[in-house]
Formats: sequence, C-alpha cells, structure tokens
Amino acid sequence: MTDIDLTQLTQLHYINKKLVSGYHISEQDNLAWQELDQQQEQYAALFSALGHTLVHDARGFFHFATDEGTANMGKISRAIALFIYTLIEHYANQGQDPMRALFDKDVDLELCQELVLHNKVLYDQLEIFSGTDLRKDVLMRMVRLGMAKAKDKESVFRLLAPIHRYLDALLEVNEDALESAEEL
Amino acid sequence: MIIAKRVLNTLTELWPVLETLMKRFKMGDFSIKEVQSIIKQHFPHYSGAQIYKETNRLLSQDILVPLAKSSQLEINRAVSDFAAYLLQDESLGVAAEIHVLVDDLERLSAKLTKAVGDDDYGDISRYTRIMDERVRKIVKLYQHNENAIYNLVEQAKANGSSMSLSKRYKAVIEAFDEYIEPMLEMLDISGAFQICFDTIELSLTEHLLHLKQSGRDANTIRMLEQLRTRILDMHHIGRESLRQSADMLMPLREELRQNTLVTRQAAKVLGLIRKRGLDSVMSAHQPFFASEPMHHQLGSNAQLVAYMAGLSEFEEHDFEMPDASAAEPYRAPNIPSFRDVRALFKPAKGNNKARKQQLIDVLDTHYPELESDELLYLYQKLINDPSLTLSQSERLETKTIAGKRFALYPFIDASDATTTKSSEQL
Repeated sequence: MTDIDLTQLTQLHYINKKLVSGYHISEQDNLAWQELDQQQEQYAALFSALGHTLVHDARGFFHFATDEGTANMGKISRAIALFIYTLIEHYANQGQDPMRALFDKDVDLELCQELVLHNKVLYDQLEIFSGTDLRKDVLMRMVRLGMAKAKDKESVFRLLAPIHRYLDALLEVNEDALESAEEL
Repeated sequence: MIIAKRVLNTLTELWPVLETLMKRFKMGDFSIKEVQSIIKQHFPHYSGAQIYKETNRLLSQDILVPLAKSSQLEINRAVSDFAAYLLQDESLGVAAEIHVLVDDLERLSAKLTKAVGDDDYGDISRYTRIMDERVRKIVKLYQHNENAIYNLVEQAKANGSSMSLSKRYKAVIEAFDEYIEPMLEMLDISGAFQICFDTIELSLTEHLLHLKQSGRDANTIRMLEQLRTRILDMHHIGRESLRQSADMLMPLREELRQNTLVTRQAAKVLGLIRKRGLDSVMSAHQPFFASEPMHHQLGSNAQLVAYMAGLSEFEEHDFEMPDASAAEPYRAPNIPSFRDVRALFKPAKGNNKARKQQLIDVLDTHYPELESDELLYLYQKLINDPSLTLSQSERLETKTIAGKRFALYPFIDASDATTTKSSEQL
C-alpha cells in the first residue's frame, strides 16, 4: 500500500476538481501535470480509494477512466468524434499529414465553417448548422475537457494530446461493423 | 599549372561563396553575374574591382569552369564532389550502383586469377590496384548513402506540417524501395554479395599461398593481403551502414503507415456514419469522460482530507450491544442535601465561633470526602442563597480543595454584613 502524504500533493484541489469534471490534464497544464507525473503513485492510490481510476496515457495526459457516461456526455463525445474525423479527412484531402496537422495547425472559425459545409449531412445529425455552432458546441466543450486550447480570445483553437483517445476509438471501429454496414 | 596550395587558399577564402553556389544551384549552371552578386552578398565591403578580381581568381584556378558552348559556368566536378563531401550534402544513390561495382570486382577477380596463373606480375599488381580502388569506392558509396539517408530523414522530420504528405514521404519511400530493400537482399547471408565475396576471398587466399610459395615480389603479396582485408572490412561496413540507415528510416515509414491507416479509417468511419447515423456507429467506441455522479463528489481539499482521514482510520469490526444485566445501576451523585449544608451557616445563638469563617473552608472541613467539583457546586449554591448573609473578601486567595488549587475572592459567612456581591474567579 502506498503511503499518501497529503502535504506533498499541493495541487490536489485543482487536480481533483479538474479530473472529476472530465478534464484531461496534459503537459500544457504545467504545474498539475508535473505534480501528477512526479507523485503519480500517491495520486493513483488516493483516487482509487475515492473510487476513481487515474489513467496515465503515455502520449502525455492524465484522465479518469469511466466506462459509462450520461446521455448528454455521450452526445458531446460523439460530436467531438465527428469533428475530429472530419478534420482528419479535411487535412488528408489537402494532402497534409493528418497526424501532424491535427496537433500543429490551428482551427479557426473559417475552418469550422468549411467542415460544417462539406459535411452537412453529418453535422445535421448533431444539429450543428454553422461554424459558430461547431465552435460553441464542440470546440468550447473540448477546451473544458482539456482536449483543446483556446487562443486569441477564443477565436483560434489548437488540439491537444488527449484527442488520441478519439484516434484510438477510430481504429477500434472494426471491420465487422464496416462490413455489416456495407451489406445494408 | 595550377598550384594546389593556391587553390586551397582560394577555397578557404571564398568558401561561403562556394557553399551558396552549391546550395542554390545544386549541380546546375549559373552566370558570371550571379557569382558576382553572391560575392557581393558575402563580402559587402568589396569594391567592384575587387569583386571582379575574386571572380577571375575562381575562373583562372578552374574552380568554376565554363560550360561547353555557353557563357554559363559550373563548379568543377572535383571541387563540387569535395564540397559535397564537406557539406555532407549527398544524394542517395541506387543499390544498382553498388551492384555494378561488385560485378566489376568479380570480373577483375577472374582476371587476377588468370594473371596469377600466367605468373604475370605486372598484371597482378595492376588488377590488385584496380580492385582495391573498386573496394574503396564501394565503401565510399556506403558512407555516402548513409549520409544521404540521414539528410533525407532530417528533411522529412523538419517542420513538415506545411509540406504535403506525399511530398514529405516520397523520398523516404523511394529510399526504401530503391536502396534499403535491394541492398538488404544483396547483403543477405546467402545473397549475391556473400557468394561473390566468398569466391573472391577464396581465390585471393589461393593466390597469396601460391605467391608466397614461389617466394617472389613481397610488394605484390602485401598488396594482395591488404586487398583481402579491405574486402572483409567492406562487407562489415556495408552491413553496419545499412543497419543504421534502416534504423533511421524505419520510424518515418511507421509514421507514414500510421497516417495512411488513420486517414483511411477516418474515411471509412465517416462513410459508415453517413449510412447508419452517428449514434449507432460511435456509441460502442466513443471515449467516456466524467459522469454525473462524479460531479457531485467531494470537491474541496479539506473535504478530501477529512474523507481520507476517515478512510484511513476506518476499521471494520462487529459492534456489540451492551448487556442490560451487566450494566451498573444508576447512582446518584454523592452530594449531601443542600438543606443540611445550609444549616451549617444558619445563624444560631452561641455559635459565633463558626461565623466569620470562609464558606469554602467550612465546606472542606465538613465534607472531606467530596470531590472538588461537588464542593464548588455546593459553594456556588450557598453564595446564591438569599437566606444567608455573606460578605466577600477583597483579597485574592489561593486555596487547595480536594487536591485542586483555586484562586478566588472567598465569601465569608457574616450574618451582620449586608454585601452579597458575588464575584468569583476560578
């Protein structure tokens, strides 16, 4: 059993508040990330005593593992998934390297407009009808979840490492599902 | 006749110019105007005459040579090779290049065998020298290609987000297809190279034995020995270089594969979503975060600490209800009746002696068995009793009652006194 020394966990309040709200702590959150990284065992023990599972993803972020979300959260998650996948397609269509562009390029309102315009059928399912909707419903939420960083008065966004979870999910959609869809 | 040292001096002095020419024009041609403007750019303090002089120097020493039937210039091939070596600015050759050299080596080896058979010492040393050159060239090519691959990898890694995907990886894929893979095939343990080198080495050993037995020309023998060592070494260098090149390229190829995979999968999944709807496709796979109950859990640091403290002290054990029969019956406090106590102070005739006594002392002497808090309770009751006439001392006194020390302004039983002020300090 790991000894938990609460005096060492100076960022506990912030970290706990963020993680329970679904936020992903990545390297951008300097202080919290450093402390989690250094005191990982203690935090993991503490949170597991509280009934949470602290997950450290080697690609540079921490989050709480949950296997069930609320209906509303599920909808938000699907919206984020759709946004990321359309963004990948957009970059690939432009002949760019999507894995790099996702993390290195900014997402601005113009790009949002373009995504919604080109994928109207898809975004209609989420009742997202314009770039502004996309920004408000998806990007701002991603910022709150620690998956994106807002810059320039929230007009430009940069995606962060935690979106790897969506890339994993993308690769998980397996052949069976694809095949059964083709049969339809 | 151009003096080597003078050329080297010029190269040293005008190196920045040559470097720029190499980088800007690669192997292409350029005009004399361009050379002059580059000199001007690197040496801005030079006058027109000086620039003209420097240009002339480059031309007269054959560092820059004119293209045939043209006024354009190019860098002397020997100089550009040297500069490319210095700048490590090498472009990747193809495996076939090395293959040709190895074939040549095989051919020369056959000729050498013939020369040894004919005891033609002139031919032996000639072929040995040529073979030696070929081997050196192969080693040089290995190193050259390794550098080229290094540059290629650096280029692909460098700020490539603006470069298009196909462009960025084209060179990497080409390097794999045209160099690494055929080379790996050739250097394979039972590959063409190995067989060829084994044959060459074997025949060289035979020649050496033959020459040594004939006891002639120590010089030729030494050359042959050197050649044999060099060939063995070459094979080793080839393997090492290739391994390093592959190590450098592999991560990039992996990255490319990952990219292709992600892109293809994204297109497939989006297609699927179009057909079957977002919810049905993604519900099973989407990541989850933060559920509603989590929101309502302990928030503040203090709460967490308290909760944790509780958790760490928590021990599970069975609680036993107390047994009713084992419980002791209730016992009233052992305090004498207040009436009896008050009677002690009731004014009575001929009892003057008891008067003027401090209340607390009287209580203490009459009831030595009582606890201090019980005595104080009685004392408190007495001084609040209106039927008694009491006065309070103005002096602070320290008393020891039932083993406890108290500081107080004691009340005195004085039925003739009128003050009943109560101010007590414990």
